[in-house]
Amino acid sequence: MNGSGHRFALIFFGSVLLIWLAGMALFVRHSALPPEASGTMLAVFEPSTSQERAVTAIATAGGNIVKKSGLDFVWVVQGDEPGLAGRLKAAGALGAYRELPISPALAGCFAVADAKVEAAFD
Amino acid sequence: MTTATQETPWYFRPTTILIAGCLVAIINFGVRSTFGLFTLPISTAHQWPRETYSFAIALQNLMWGIGTPLAGMLADRYGSARVLMAGAVLYAVGVFGMNYSDSGPMMDFTAGLLVGLGIALSSFSIVMAALGRLVPPEKRSWAFGLATASGSMGQALFIWPVGQIVSNSGWNAGLVALAVSALVIIPLSVPLLVQNTSKSAHAKGETSLPMGQAVAEAFGHRSYLLLVAGFFVCGFQLAFITVHFPPYLAEHGISKEIAWAAMLLIGLCNVVGAYTSGIIGGRGVKRIPLSAIYLARAALYTLFILLPISTTTTLLFAAAIGLLWLSTVPLTMGLVTVMFGTRYMATLYGFVFLSHQIGSFLGVWLGGRLYDYYGSYDPVWWMSVALGVFAGIVHLPIREHRAQAFAAV
Repeated sequence: MNGSGHRFALIFFGSVLLIWLAGMALFVRHSALPPEASGTMLAVFEPSTSQERAVTAIATAGGNIVKKSGLDFVWVVQGDEPGLAGRLKAAGALGAYRELPISPALAGCFAVADAKVEAAFD
Repeated sequence: MTTATQETPWYFRPTTILIAGCLVAIINFGVRSTFGLFTLPISTAHQWPRETYSFAIALQNLMWGIGTPLAGMLADRYGSARVLMAGAVLYAVGVFGMNYSDSGPMMDFTAGLLVGLGIALSSFSIVMAALGRLVPPEKRSWAFGLATASGSMGQALFIWPVGQIVSNSGWNAGLVALAVSALVIIPLSVPLLVQNTSKSAHAKGETSLPMGQAVAEAFGHRSYLLLVAGFFVCGFQLAFITVHFPPYLAEHGISKEIAWAAMLLIGLCNVVGAYTSGIIGGRGVKRIPLSAIYLARAALYTLFILLPISTTTTLLFAAAIGLLWLSTVPLTMGLVTVMFGTRYMATLYGFVFLSHQIGSFLGVWLGGRLYDYYGSYDPVWWMSVALGVFAGIVHLPIREHRAQAFAAV
């Protein structure tokens, strides 16, 4: 295969990724919880935010930490007082989102939503 | 620029066809990769045990396997575009129908039967068959790699947005969005209409055998049977990892986040591996790299189960197995075309893929069954190692030239 084929692949996959990223940026902005929202949510901070800074912001907003995600700047937060999402944003979060119903199952060649996969991490 | 190019509408030009075919692969694989997101919301909404929905998805995978040779026959006879369009309709109707499936048998019909057949008819193997006929032989393997890598990419692209829709607007909205996505395959298939095999005489250099006889001849060809046996192993190994790897990690104290990262890493490296395999396949013999992939998988599995399991070994294993994940596909499809040409490639690859899906079913089922019996996944890990060595060996005697019955006339 010559260089033109690889260039085509690079441009194709790059373009798909760019369009996807742009779409997701709009989508994420649109899907942020309204300021008055309460309950369980994901609090998302800037990636450079330290753990201490995030914890302080959550406490300031009156939220309780349910768990830390795999990323230091994303936390699962809970609070029944209305307006938690708005207070998190005021305290420095980029936004608050509903927790995703995702289990760590890969849909490869045999996409079975196996109960065992979810149960293993409960 | 030639006169022929000037006369060809833009939507029938090779670049458009390649892009459209790859986008079909992205959507086909992307939509089906999200069904795990619906386990919890659908089971909760209907107050079902999770096995009810899981069974429908298992059935879907079997139907995908059974449907692929049938879809291949239709594609070889009527052209890939029409089959992709019909598949898109079935796919969309099935996904949309999941919204109204309030009993196990109804879910089996929509998510299992309709979606399974829809996936088969609109799958990237049908796209690859069209590309295989459209691109010159020296670019064929590259095109197979590109289409396979696109499918891999689709898996990664759909999960997050669909998860967001399910989370924000409910699972019904998520299914509607997926049904609409599946319908997008219809306009994307239009450029492939240029490769319309119906009413056309067999291409120069291709066999004149009727389809039934071609299938019978293929099953009497030793190298084809070896390929079928080898691809069974691919299905077994990957399906076992797909379903049983996360709980295996959990058992060894690996966190959910690392398990997630591992699965994501598999998906990303899969894109690189599939594309690279297409390039390697275009450079010469295909059976040697194919054999090497299976042997490398066996070696990786062995190392992973013998070494202490940690975050580092988990992520390293995920990256390495990701590179080897769908990298078998371009080489396997390539060998089918080398042995039998392009006229019946979709049909004959379809039967090879059926073997893959049977392996997948056994990998998942035995993984669970033997775990329940022995209280450990180790027996199936070792079984995967042995099968990897077996596949590595059986690919070596494959003869990479046109089967006699398929010689050009």
